[in-house]
Amino acid sequence: MLKKMIVWLCTALFVFAADATVEVVKKIDVLPKVAVQDASAKTIDSELRRSFYKLIANDLRVSSHFNVLDEYLQSSYEGGPLENFLADKKVDMIVRFNIVQDTANLAVNVKLINARTGSTTFEKAYNLSDKKRYPFLAHRVVIDVNDQTGSPSIAWMEQSVIFAKYTDAKKSEIVISDYTLNYQKVMVSGGLNVFPKWANKEQSAFFYTSYSGAEPMVYKFDLRSGSRSSIISSPGMIVCSDVSQDGNKLLLTMAPKDQPDIYLYDLRTKKIQKITEYSGIDVNGNFIDNDTRIAFVSDRLGNPDIFAQGLNDKSFEKLVYHGKNKNSISTYDNYIVYSSREADSEFGRNTFNLYLISTKTDYLRQLTATGENLYPRFAKDPDTIMFIKQFGNQSALGIIRLSANKTYQFALKTGKLQSLDW
Amino acid sequence: MGKLALTSLAVAVLVLTGCSQKSPEVDMTKSSGDTKGAAVNDGMSALQKLIASLEANSKKIYFDFDKYNIRKDQQANIDANAALFNSAEAKSFSIKVEGNCDEFGTDEYNYALGLKRAKSVKDGLVAKGMVADRITVVSYGESNPACSEHNKDCWAQNRRAEFKVLP
Repeated sequence: MLKKMIVWLCTALFVFAADATVEVVKKIDVLPKVAVQDASAKTIDSELRRSFYKLIANDLRVSSHFNVLDEYLQSSYEGGPLENFLADKKVDMIVRFNIVQDTANLAVNVKLINARTGSTTFEKAYNLSDKKRYPFLAHRVVIDVNDQTGSPSIAWMEQSVIFAKYTDAKKSEIVISDYTLNYQKVMVSGGLNVFPKWANKEQSAFFYTSYSGAEPMVYKFDLRSGSRSSIISSPGMIVCSDVSQDGNKLLLTMAPKDQPDIYLYDLRTKKIQKITEYSGIDVNGNFIDNDTRIAFVSDRLGNPDIFAQGLNDKSFEKLVYHGKNKNSISTYDNYIVYSSREADSEFGRNTFNLYLISTKTDYLRQLTATGENLYPRFAKDPDTIMFIKQFGNQSALGIIRLSANKTYQFALKTGKLQSLDW
Repeated sequence: MGKLALTSLAVAVLVLTGCSQKSPEVDMTKSSGDTKGAAVNDGMSALQKLIASLEANSKKIYFDFDKYNIRKDQQANIDANAALFNSAEAKSFSIKVEGNCDEFGTDEYNYALGLKRAKSVKDGLVAKGMVADRITVVSYGESNPACSEHNKDCWAQNRRAEFKVLP
């Protein structure tokens, strides 16, 4: 048997078919095979048990660190010789969960069992006071299990996603969800509310643009106090594109003189500084190089492209020489992920693909191959990227696991995704 | 009941993230004082009827794919709108130009493209004698489609600027 094989990885969860990343992988490491067992009592809601099983199994798959047995298994929590080894399944590990309470609160006990020895290597009790948030609890379980195996961290699974979705003409909602969209809570509704952006790493507040007043306005919503405060408005448009690492400065796209440019706004002093100067379109400013420079999108050379300039320096440089129509970027240290319009046609559906580049080297990697792939955003770690996949009036949230070269999609049941952050 | 739900959520978040939060919803329409669109009905005042009439008589301006310059075939509509908004009955009103885009792209660039379209129309109106201070611009990006089907005719209808008359 060939030790090395070339594969074109196409993986999908739930509804949609795969969207393969284009990079060719030389070999697949042998991943530990893991089974998930439901040890909950029959009195526990069967739908909850099944859903929890699916979340655990899918999280393990999305981690790309495990080969997950695709079979819903039931067992006792203590286990016996058969349940602790599953010899016929040839698994290496067993994740066993026991939902012990399913009223308003949720309590789940979890074991990780070495299926070769039958011994328990990890055990923990989890409690959650709002059952609706159980997807986050499932993600926490898998993060802990993953850590026990010594695999690279998948703490990004716990990040809350915030997104805007169109519900009708000039109407949209801002929603907080988990990365699988199984948990969703509408935070802002009524009118047009777009471009939500987390205000800090703790995800305790977010900025968003509302069209409810005379001019588009950026608001800040504090989740701790439940209070909303207005930050700044502009004629034409205003978007909070990025937040500095210390949370004190914003990069805004705004148009006080009807002209979209990028501005730096200091939340403490309320001082505003114009960064870019061009009569066309400058948008989507992102801090790079330790918040000393910005990368942004501009049509200053004819088509939308990616440029960089210092915060106090009007000279600019083109960052990407591949492709000709790039319209959305996200940065992480020296890396930039962007969407590029490939099929430039007004007569058919357009193709947008995602690419990853380094600002320090010639590194370039195509991340998607088909369809409309938009609005890429890095996770806490640069190994995971979230993006919007559009299908006409429908959307899915996409996750790219770079090191594993895999893409997963999670369908939005109603509405159309406008933008996201996590 | 609502307080109970909020408290539960706050505790849940505390368990999972170690960060105390509560998350009440915001309905922007309740605090914004937004005005409703002017629809023709018997209860309308003379002013409202005039505004509705002016808006109905204004001509939408259409744009090419991914462009914000005024097409030659749209210049006559710019001229007609300038004449309409400079007429005696309209001269006391402000005009808001709303820029819109087709469905391709959900990012800031699309909103900026809509803004540039509105700005091009404003510049065209000013070139035809309108006072710049009477005109405001706003972009709705792809959020306000005139047509929701997925074909080239529909997309072309959505790449447009249209007008609101403000007292």
